[in-house]
Order: sequence, then C-alpha cells, then structure tokens
Amino acid sequence: MTWTGFVVRNLLRHPLRTALTTLSVALSIFLVCAVLTLPAALNALFERTASSTRISVHHEAGLSYWLPLSYVQRVKAIPGVAAVNQFTWFGGIYDEPRNMFPNFAVDPETVAEVWPDYRIDPGALERFRRIRNGALVGEETFRRFGWRLGQEVTLRGTIFPVNLTLQIVGVIPASGNPVMLWFHRTYLEEAMEPYGGLRLVGMLWLRADRPEAVDGILRQVDAMFRNAEAQVTAETEQAFFASFLSSFRELVRLVLAVGVLVVGAVVLIAANTAAMGVRERIPEIAILKSLGFRRRPILVALLAESTLIGLVGGILGAGGAYGILTALALAGKTGAGGFLGPLSGFRMSPQVALQGVAISVIVGFVAGAIPARNGARLNVVEALRRLF
Amino acid sequence: MGVPLRYNLRNILVRARTSAFSAGGIALVVAATMLLAALVGGLQRMLVAAGEPRNLIVMRKGATNDGSSQLPREAAQILRAMPGVASTPEGTPLASAQLVNQPFIRVPGGGRENVLVRGVEPIAFRVHDRVQLVEGRIFRPNLGEIVVGRGAARRYGLRVGSIADFGRRQWTVVGVFDSGGTAFDSEIWADVGDVQGDTRRQGYSAVRLRVAAGIDPSDMIRRIDRDGRFTLEAKPETVYYQQQAETANALYVLVLTLAVVMATGATFGALNTMYAAVSSRTAEIGTLRALGFGRGAILLSFLTESLLLAGGGLLAGLVLALGAMVAVNTLLRGVAFSMMTFSVATVLLEPTPIGVLLGVGFAAAIGVAGGLGPAWRAANLRVIEALHRA
Repeated sequence: MTWTGFVVRNLLRHPLRTALTTLSVALSIFLVCAVLTLPAALNALFERTASSTRISVHHEAGLSYWLPLSYVQRVKAIPGVAAVNQFTWFGGIYDEPRNMFPNFAVDPETVAEVWPDYRIDPGALERFRRIRNGALVGEETFRRFGWRLGQEVTLRGTIFPVNLTLQIVGVIPASGNPVMLWFHRTYLEEAMEPYGGLRLVGMLWLRADRPEAVDGILRQVDAMFRNAEAQVTAETEQAFFASFLSSFRELVRLVLAVGVLVVGAVVLIAANTAAMGVRERIPEIAILKSLGFRRRPILVALLAESTLIGLVGGILGAGGAYGILTALALAGKTGAGGFLGPLSGFRMSPQVALQGVAISVIVGFVAGAIPARNGARLNVVEALRRLF
Repeated sequence: MGVPLRYNLRNILVRARTSAFSAGGIALVVAATMLLAALVGGLQRMLVAAGEPRNLIVMRKGATNDGSSQLPREAAQILRAMPGVASTPEGTPLASAQLVNQPFIRVPGGGRENVLVRGVEPIAFRVHDRVQLVEGRIFRPNLGEIVVGRGAARRYGLRVGSIADFGRRQWTVVGVFDSGGTAFDSEIWADVGDVQGDTRRQGYSAVRLRVAAGIDPSDMIRRIDRDGRFTLEAKPETVYYQQQAETANALYVLVLTLAVVMATGATFGALNTMYAAVSSRTAEIGTLRALGFGRGAILLSFLTESLLLAGGGLLAGLVLALGAMVAVNTLLRGVAFSMMTFSVATVLLEPTPIGVLLGVGFAAAIGVAGGLGPAWRAANLRVIEALHRA
C-alpha cells in the first residue's frame, strides 16, 4: 500500500465521521468567507476608486458645507490640472423614499477627462453631453430599478425644492461606480432659477496630468484658498475615501471577531475528530512502530488526514460561498439596502475564496497537530500491552 | 426504568477533553449568535426608543430622514402656530424647529468623521422628554455654545469647558446630556441660529411637535399633509424611528442565516462526538441491555447525554457572549458606524431576549439533532453482538 493510499484508506474508515467533519469545516469556511467579504469589499472599493491622479477638493468643515461656483475656474488654472469636474449632492428620491441612492449634478463636458478609468461608453458620453436632461447611472442602480436606456425618470428633491425629470442615456460600468447617478449641473441651475438660483457647488474633482504633479497641486489648492471665504481641504481620492470609510472600521472589527469565533468552533470540532481517530488507532500505530516505521512518516500521515479534510472542506465552503454570493450580487440582493451605504452591491472576490481555503487548510493542520504528535510519540510497549 | 443521569455525567467527565471540545464548539456558536443579535438589538433600541408616541416629525415630503430634508422658515412658523400643538404652562408651543448639520470632526486617535449637529431652540429639551441635561447648563444663543450627548462626549473626548472644533468656528461645551441610550446620545446640540449662521442656511431640516392631549395625532397629520403652501409630510416619531430601524430588521435575517449555518456545522461535530461515544461504549450498552434496561431507556439516556453537552456549551456561550458585550461596551465604548444619515452613531451592544432565545434554541437543536442518530444506533444494538465486544 502506498503512503497516499494509507491516508485515504484511513479517512474512509469512518466515512460518516469524515463526511460530517468535512461538511462542518465547509459550513464554517462558508461563513468565514461571507464575513471576510465585508472588509475585502471595503478594500476593493478603495482600490477601484483609488485613481492615483484624481484629487478631491471640498470645504474643510465637511461635505455639507458648499463651495462658491467660482472655485471651479480658479483651480482649473493651476498648472498640472488636466481637468476639473464637480459634484453637487441633489439627494433626490426615486419612487419610494427608501430607494436611496447617491445622485449628483456634474459637468458633462469633462466626465471623460476626470474619470477615464470608469470606461464609460463613448456613445453614452456623447449622448450625455448632448441631451439637456440626460443622466448616467451606475450599473447596479440601473438594474435595481429595472430602468431602460432612453427611459425618463423623475427624482423628487428633498433638499432642493424642485423635482427633476431625467432621461437615462447611459450606464456607468460597475467596475467604475455601481450606484451613482449623474446629471447636468446646468439642468439643476435652470430648475433653481425661480428659487434664487444656484451659485454653490458641493465639491470639486480634479485630475492631474501625471502622478508626480499631485503633491504640487494639493499644495497649490491649499495655498490658493487659505484666506478665502471658504477654506478647502484638497486630498487624493484615496485619502478622501479612506476617511469616508473609516466609520465602518469598528463594525468590520466586530464582524471579524465573529469570524474568529466561527474559526475557533471549527478548530475544536476538527481537533475532536482527529483525536478520536488517533485514539481508536493506538494499537495500529503501535504495530506500525514495532514494524520499524519511524515517528515522522506516522506523524505526517496523521497530519495529512486532517489537513486533507481541511482542504476539501475549504474548497466546498469557499466555492459554495463564492457561488451563492455572486449569484446574489447578480440578482442585486446584497448590501442590505442603504444600511451599508457605499458598500451596497458588494461582491465576493476570488481572493476571499482563496483566503477561505487557506484558513481551512490551516484549521485542518492545527486541529490535527496535537493528536498527531501524541500518536507519533506513542510509547510502543505501553500501547502493545493495552492491546493484548 | 431509566438509566441514571449519573451514568451520563460520569461518561462526560471521563472523556473530559472530547466533551470540552464539543461543548466548546457549541459555546462559540451560541456566543457568535448572541453577539450579532446584541448588535442588532442595540441598533433597534437606539432608534426605536428615541421616538415619543405623542410627538410628530414634520419634514419635506419624500425625505427619509431629517438630515436630508429642508423646510423654509415660514413653514416652521405656521406649524408652531397650528391649533392642536401642545404648549408649556407658560404658553410656549411645544414645537421644536431643528436644523441638522453633519460637519467633520476630528476623532482622538486619528482621522475625521461626520458628527450630527442638531441646531435647536431651548424648547427642544421639553419636546424630547428623554433628553436630560446631566452636567453643566444649556447653551445661550449667538455665543457658539454647545451641549453634547454622552456618547459624543466620550467619543470625541469632550467635557464641560472644552473646546470643540467643527464647522467654520470653534465651539464651547457648556453641558452634557443623556438620552437613555437613544440616537441623540451621539449628537451635539447647539443653538439653531448658530448652526444656521455656520452653514449659511436660512431654514430648518424638520419640526418636531407635541400633539396636545385630547387631539388625535392622525387628524393633525392629515391637516399638515393637506396644507398646500408647503409640501410637508408629518409622521409620528415612533413611526419615523421604526422606519429608520427597518434596515436593522433586515439584519436579523442575516444574523439568523449565519446562526443556522453555524449551528448546522456544530451539529455535525456533536454527531461525531456522540457516534464515537456510542461505538466506544458498545460493550457497556450491551451490558445495560442485559441488565434489563429497555431500548427506550438507552435512547433517552444517550439523548440526555447529548443535551447535557449542549447545555454545558450553552452556559459557556452565554458567559462568553456577556463577557464580550461588557468588554465592547466598556473598553471600546460600543460599536460606532455611520448609518443612513452618514454621521456616526455609537451603538452599545444590548443582550436581547431574541438573542438569548436564539442561543437556547440553537443549543437545544444541536443537542437533539446531534444526539438522536447516535442514540437510535445505541438503542438498536444487538445485545449478543454488543456483549461479544466485552
């Protein structure tokens, strides 16, 4: 019998027990993967949006403090700035109040220059520029409301005293920004004319023409508005999102703590199985040893058993989690509505699945370590005496 | 006649390590379930308890929360003067016009986050009964004075006399209030005029008003909704906060799914333990049967043993979960995260009846599901063969 055959045979000796342990590991890894998806989704969001050349400029007091519209022209003049765009939070509601999603008034002319990494279809961009009430919608939001291209939708204003009817002219790919809706700034300005007009802007987005120019631009923006009526904070997109997402850190920590508990539980269960296996096989191990097998092959064989259980369980669990979460994401069911805010519509990444399998293998190894060591260190004479 | 309970207890103790491991697995399942339920429970308590049954919140029609609503000054004046609004003995209407702002604030230890600043008039402390000043005094207008909720005070390291830096100016803390663990505890309250000046905004976000005794709140709601001058929408505060908590209800589904999957995994572990117990005690079982104990007695005995293990796990899990909750609430001062309004609120973990019930339920289910199969096998062992093993 080969060494591999020996390990496999041993695993199949109690098929029910092996199956139960494997399934138990699989279920736990399933959960661990689901739990790991949250922080991983945060990081992914981060990396996805972390353009190295995009800079956010907003009021230093917060995003609810708006900037004078004239700032747009002023920052445009800074050397190294390739393009400037702007966000003005409209806060419109579509249909039901609970259908909250971010919608912003932007400048259609420079969308392509400021967000080239979003890979928005050139045809859609062209329509967006041309159609006065045109709107670009993130893929997830588009799918969530079942919208069609060319459809007119009305957003009810809650901050602005106006309702806007927008025509959906294109989709922002989910790899760019899955949830936002963008529409013309001028359309909002016209609608606000009877109410005293709109001469403020929520925040600015600049793109540097090359990464090396970023630091210089940040310094210049700070200097430009140091003594102005509205002082600003200029920071890279990365820094901006990092501070925005930092408020989720504690929640993520708690969720990870639960994940640790899950892993702890499965280590106990798998260790129990391994210990049972070794205990029942004491006579065999004694015989193997008396036949001349050294400690090491016995140890490795026992360890291989529980590690194999970990591997198979991990593949089942992580694969299952990946399949189910991807299916849910495709159906638009993840994110628990507005609760996770910028995270709604998150997806599990293959990296998380790999992490799950890795954790599972470690679980199997750790769970098998002590019983295997005990088994390999068995005192032959003692054990054989018990046998006869 | 039943097999004595002592037989099971002794057996559990003889294989102490195995027993501890399988009970430990169950304990961790119970603890994880209860912790998550406590988070949801704390979230719900924070939101739901903030509502006063006789208070109405009036916002722009369609606004989901007062952070994303704007009302003109005149609307607030009309609401204040509306018949049916309760008033103080001095005759001031119990109507609190408020402006909600979410500026950045520095967090000690690094970073910035949005804090909820509520600009109010002094009457707000009468409209929101739960909000009680516990230290210092209330703010005076036009001086940049603020009172801070207990949670906010802890989180941002503020106390009476300290200076808070947010918005366009610096603010002096003159008081600390407590609102009984509701969402207000994470807020900073300032004079509404000061907040209007700081944000350069004219109007308000919302008006909270107390309905006078003897007036039907739903009648009042209808009158406000019908008013053609402004597109307003009134709802009872309790309903408003219930809607805010709805996302928390969706979380219960997640918690339950997680708990079911974990419990299933732990059941498999328990099955292993119990099957091993049966097979290593085959001879004993044969002996018991030979002594005259019936199949039913054996079945019951092994089921009891499995339930005893689960019970031990349950107790350990409860202790672990409660310890973790106390640790999170005292050492970490709760779990802070931002919600619908984007400003950060601190949730204290709260052991809920539902959480305990889930823990007990899952432990019992694991005990029964993990014990039934093995107990069945034990009860149906053939006596002669079993005795052969002796």
